[in-house]
Amino acid sequence: MSNFDRRQFLATSAALGGLALNPFNAYAQAAPRRGGVLRMSVDQAVAKLNPLLTRVNPEYLVAELLYSGLTRLKVDMSAEPDLAASWSSTPDLLEWTFVLRRGVTFHDGSACTAADVVATFEAILDAKTASPARQNVGPIAKVRAKDDSTVIFTLSAPFADLPVTIAYTNAKIVPAAVIKAGLARLDREAIGTGPFKLVSFEPERQVVVARNDAYYDRARPYLDRIQIVVYPDSTAEGSALISGDTDMISTVPPTEFARLEKAPGVKGLRTPSGQFCNVNFGCDQKPFNDVRVRQAVALTIDRAAMVEFVTEGYGTPGNDTPLNSAYRYYANQALKKPDIIKARALLAAAGYPNGLDATLIASDRPRVRTQLAVTLREMVKPAGIRINVETMPHATYLDQVWKKGSFYVGFYNMQATADAIFALLYTSNAAWNETRWNNPAFDKFVNEARGTVDDAKRRALYAEAQKLMHAEVPSIIPVFFDLLAAQRDWVQGYQLHPRGAVFRLDHVSLAANAPKRA
Amino acid sequence: MSPAYVLKRIALIGYTLFVVSLIVFAITQILPADAAVMLLGENATADALAAVRVQLGLDAPVWLQYGRWLIGVLQGDFGVSMRTGQPVGPVLVEALGRSLLLALFAILLMLCLAVPLGIVAAIRRGKATDLGVSVTSYIGVSVPEFVSATLLILVLADWLQWLPATGYVPLTEDFARGLKHLVLPVLTVSIILIAHVSRMVRSELVDVLHTDYIRAARLKGLSARAVLFKHALRNALLPTITIVALDVGYLLGGVIVVEEIFALPGIGRQLIVAIQSRDLPSIQAGALIMASTYAIANFLADMTYAWLDKRIQYG
Repeated sequence: MSNFDRRQFLATSAALGGLALNPFNAYAQAAPRRGGVLRMSVDQAVAKLNPLLTRVNPEYLVAELLYSGLTRLKVDMSAEPDLAASWSSTPDLLEWTFVLRRGVTFHDGSACTAADVVATFEAILDAKTASPARQNVGPIAKVRAKDDSTVIFTLSAPFADLPVTIAYTNAKIVPAAVIKAGLARLDREAIGTGPFKLVSFEPERQVVVARNDAYYDRARPYLDRIQIVVYPDSTAEGSALISGDTDMISTVPPTEFARLEKAPGVKGLRTPSGQFCNVNFGCDQKPFNDVRVRQAVALTIDRAAMVEFVTEGYGTPGNDTPLNSAYRYYANQALKKPDIIKARALLAAAGYPNGLDATLIASDRPRVRTQLAVTLREMVKPAGIRINVETMPHATYLDQVWKKGSFYVGFYNMQATADAIFALLYTSNAAWNETRWNNPAFDKFVNEARGTVDDAKRRALYAEAQKLMHAEVPSIIPVFFDLLAAQRDWVQGYQLHPRGAVFRLDHVSLAANAPKRA
Repeated sequence: MSPAYVLKRIALIGYTLFVVSLIVFAITQILPADAAVMLLGENATADALAAVRVQLGLDAPVWLQYGRWLIGVLQGDFGVSMRTGQPVGPVLVEALGRSLLLALFAILLMLCLAVPLGIVAAIRRGKATDLGVSVTSYIGVSVPEFVSATLLILVLADWLQWLPATGYVPLTEDFARGLKHLVLPVLTVSIILIAHVSRMVRSELVDVLHTDYIRAARLKGLSARAVLFKHALRNALLPTITIVALDVGYLLGGVIVVEEIFALPGIGRQLIVAIQSRDLPSIQAGALIMASTYAIANFLADMTYAWLDKRIQYG
């Protein structure tokens, strides 16, 4: 028992997770059954119902059931039609035309037309709305309706990713009339075009939705009702799934995953994701303004061990670039290996022959930030770097350290595109330019790639950008987390999405042996 | 106990609540980050923060914010939650109702079990029964709720599958299911209460049984039963009332862990979430509810004391 082979166990569970994700699984079963009530648990309250303002996964989940966007994000991170049936762009990528589906209606019976799309995007782009979508939908300068079912986006710079970026979690279409009368109405009501309609909403307890019979797709959704229940304690949440009280758990922490996987009738779901934890360097301040110091820190890290310590084995090693295999334009580079002698030499060359002292700040949420900080502290010791780890409440961190500090632990969800994550964190004009790396060559690669249609050319540009990050280490990205979830075996058609914020429950159905719920 | 005294006490409660609201408001000003920062989280840009602060009224000077809030409260309006946009008053009243339901069942169970257990332990002092009760209550007091709750879930929900593991169903929605969902949280909370109170009853009763007036009652030839129930218990139970009054406070505020584990959206959890998100109106209203519950429970305990023990005079 004592030499419990963790590696082997992990390999098996990875294989099982892979099985659960196998797309052929869904096709192997008979046509989806109609009807039934699905009960899914989430770990956090659904505080915001207004889809333009949602900020956490349970809120995204509910918004996605009630509303539609122009496009949707598929599991392979490409865009598929949602309210927009088709789209095209001018060759210079400065103007995009989206043709809407006809005959779509909102839950209140009114028609959803180009005017609603225009009003929604204008609201998103208005700073007063404070929608997170504003800096994520792409460089949109102007939106106008050509006719009732055609919307034209004029961009401020060439941008190839628009169909993917407008699938953003917060870019859901709401009625123009509601926007005009005041968005506050959507705090308590839902008037969308989504596959389900709102039945009841209690932020801390549960949200119930029922099938929208007027949904534009006649076949979907398969379920009659979905109950989203809020179970904040992960052990209790797991027990509720095991005892059959719930059918699915949206997010399972690594510490609970093994227990759930072993339970009869329960299937653990696992997918590699671009979600990561990093260590940000203030590249404009001593000592981290010297690239050799950053490289030295990077050379102390045993990345495979980091995966074990920080993700309990449910993750993949990172290579100091924010992309991994879950992204479309990931470029595979040799995994960095620890080399203490070289690290010491780099430090000496940078003027720190006796090593150096630094204070690394980690917020207490999520807990992995502290785990990463403490692991790093131990790994850098042999190279003579003495790290003092300071943990603090998340609120204090957001207020005082985030984007301001010069040595702290960050935590980021996967984005839909390579451009999104680069432009969010690492370009000179990034929304959250935490590292102040400000590398003109990197900016040029990313900028050029945004305006490039040719896929091979784009891939090459992103590969250059990744190479540059790999070499210059504006931040250390030692691990990526796998996303974990669990379901009963009577739930069919669910695919865990690597993006984390996308669920697509309209593809889910219940087998005949599912418990009958009222 | 004169009516004037009672009125004075009630006025004092009002004053206490006012001071509490001032202190809580002042503390929230010192806390790092405000509701806008917490709402936007890592989506915060400078103009988004400014826009949200205007929406929430956080751009006004502090004294004006407090003034607006106070005027609202005096008119019975506790404001709108900065986190959810829902009116605070009704949401918190509903949450309080759930917590009170939990507290009520837990206190009932405690009274049914703790007092008899304490009595039995006291009259069989030093015997195996006493030892059994004492050891069990020691364990009950020292095991934290998150451990006992998890153990109860593992045994009663996971293995035996008698009860649902977590989740809350209002009794008005489905009475039978609602009760089933309440059993585990009530058990968890009452374990501590029972342990607490039975120890108290035991030690008080042991003391009382050694007093002269009890000896006198025995020598007078009264039956053991009469001595115990008519003379000893009445005095021994007095301190227990104080304990129960203090436990009401615990039941409302201290059971956050229990509410979290069993996904019971009570007042404790509301307050924690409010503090985490710097949701000022909810923090203020929640703190007021907590404070007034404490104050009222204490007040009632004092009144009950005076009523039970005529030697105690207030006023």
